[in-house]
Amino acid sequence: MKTIKTVNKRNLILNIIVIAALVGFIIWAEEGRSFGSYNQRIFKTCCIYAICALSMNMVNGFTGLFSLGQPGFMAIGAYVTAFLTVSASDKISIYKIIPISEGMANLHAPFFIALILGGIIAAAFAFLIGFPVLRLKGDYLAIATLGFSEIIRIFITNAQGITNGPTGINRIPNTYMNLYVVCGILAIIVIFILAMMKTSYGRALLAIREDEVAAQAMGINLFRHKMLAFVLSGFFAGIGGGLLASLVGAIGPDQFKFTVAYDILLMVVLGGQGSVSGSVAGAFIVRIALEKLRFLDEPIDFGIFQYKGIGGMRMVVFSILLMLVIILWRKGIFGNKEFSWDRIFNFFAKFKKSPKKEVQG
Amino acid sequence: MAALLETRDVTIRFGGLIAVNLLNIEVNKGEIIAVIGPNGAGKTTAFNLITGVYAPTEGDILFDGEKINGRRPDEIAKLGIARTFQNIRLFKDLTVLENVLIATHLNVKSGLFSSVLKLPKARKEEQEMVKFAEFLLEETGLLQFKDEVASNLPYGLQRRLEIARALATKPKLLLLDEPAAGMNPKESEDLTDFIRDIRDKFSLTVLLIEHHMQLVMDISDRIYVLEYGQTIAKGVPAEIQANPAVIKAYLGEEDED
Repeated sequence: MKTIKTVNKRNLILNIIVIAALVGFIIWAEEGRSFGSYNQRIFKTCCIYAICALSMNMVNGFTGLFSLGQPGFMAIGAYVTAFLTVSASDKISIYKIIPISEGMANLHAPFFIALILGGIIAAAFAFLIGFPVLRLKGDYLAIATLGFSEIIRIFITNAQGITNGPTGINRIPNTYMNLYVVCGILAIIVIFILAMMKTSYGRALLAIREDEVAAQAMGINLFRHKMLAFVLSGFFAGIGGGLLASLVGAIGPDQFKFTVAYDILLMVVLGGQGSVSGSVAGAFIVRIALEKLRFLDEPIDFGIFQYKGIGGMRMVVFSILLMLVIILWRKGIFGNKEFSWDRIFNFFAKFKKSPKKEVQG
Repeated sequence: MAALLETRDVTIRFGGLIAVNLLNIEVNKGEIIAVIGPNGAGKTTAFNLITGVYAPTEGDILFDGEKINGRRPDEIAKLGIARTFQNIRLFKDLTVLENVLIATHLNVKSGLFSSVLKLPKARKEEQEMVKFAEFLLEETGLLQFKDEVASNLPYGLQRRLEIARALATKPKLLLLDEPAAGMNPKESEDLTDFIRDIRDKFSLTVLLIEHHMQLVMDISDRIYVLEYGQTIAKGVPAEIQANPAVIKAYLGEEDED
């Protein structure tokens, strides 16, 4: 058996190697030509959805509340960021049906301030709706948050003077949407959540997930801690929405339909509820699989016979793959644990057991 | 001397059912008091009333001279009442140490952001919490299992962990709901010593529900007997053992012919 010290040292070295490799990969992907702008875009989308998945995991995975309000918070973040970063002259030309007032058109903020403001406003909405909905449990909470999300979407569709209604806002600048910014923000959020789950507050959230009655009997104020998770989740979703708006360049209310909540839920469940690494992995797997399975929709020449290509075939294959994953790993790929080298080594150790080494200390 | 815990004519009705009727319990500082009675007598309901899970329909509950009925369970825990549960309610997927650490959260002073950023003060507080939790685990003989997942512990140790977790809230009054349930005679004897031990070490007052008569008679300073929500007897163990109403409630009446 190895001592704890050497294992820790090994893990530290492996961590440094992986982080260095990731940073190296990001620099290569951003600066080099060979990665391509198509792949870059997929990578950025993955990162943004990872942020949204983490936001949902904060509430669903760590605190054990079933909330589906993500599209609403994302929409708020997206519209705030879009509204504040589109230039005044562009805004005047975009708002055709109900012209925008001069004062509104001149409202402008730098990208990062707009993004954070989007997050804060989304968090403020989370705070306000938290008062009524956090008294609910289970499915009822899911329905209430889903309803909130729809209300936001319908409000955006109809508040034409502010949001330009169903047409949406386009010409959103993507000046800062490089891999450094997107990956950097994801990294900050990942580090924040990982650090938070190791504090007393993080443990309190886990306690609520495990057993509300016992948690409350141990002096944990359920409402305050649920609110904490809900507001943080709203903030992260707002940031995710803002980034999505800047990446896509054009937003409309239809991008924030309630089905978005299921897309994100899928990533969270696939990766493992209550696992940060799981959410990130889930987001990457789902987004990449959806893109890379596109060849199934197109004709393929097998030599012996010709596959004509069926539109939507990739969704069928994707669904089958998903079912397999859920059957094999019922709690998601990572369960509620984090990625760790020890787990990987233990996993491989099962295959090459050498009893002699085990006996010797 | 004023009692640490006092219930005054506490009554709770669920619809037409009177689960607890005119309950008058008095617990003085440092005492070990037992509440006994047949199943369905309202003992656990009484606990739930004291810990704020239910609010009494009538009557008042006083803790340390302060009225606590209608307060939330977490507020009552902060005031210094901790409890264990009849059907163990540990945080099953978390480690033994985490289970105890969670119960120290109610005394946390650092804010969320200083904890996340590991500012010196928050870091020190966290270290103290871990130290205190490990001390409690040592006292309860669970330190060697601290990184074990709680649900992997054997049943008897899970009960101990529940007590350790309750102690982590730094209570004045500890409520134990059937601590000896499912234990063999040897284990419940150990438990008797253990309860006395922690009472002295942490200067606690203990109120417990128990069916295990040997333990109750050994440990209690005074006993309350409940049946159908009514208090049918109270007194020191010897009085209770000789009380005809108690014998009737437990064993039934002899036929008179």
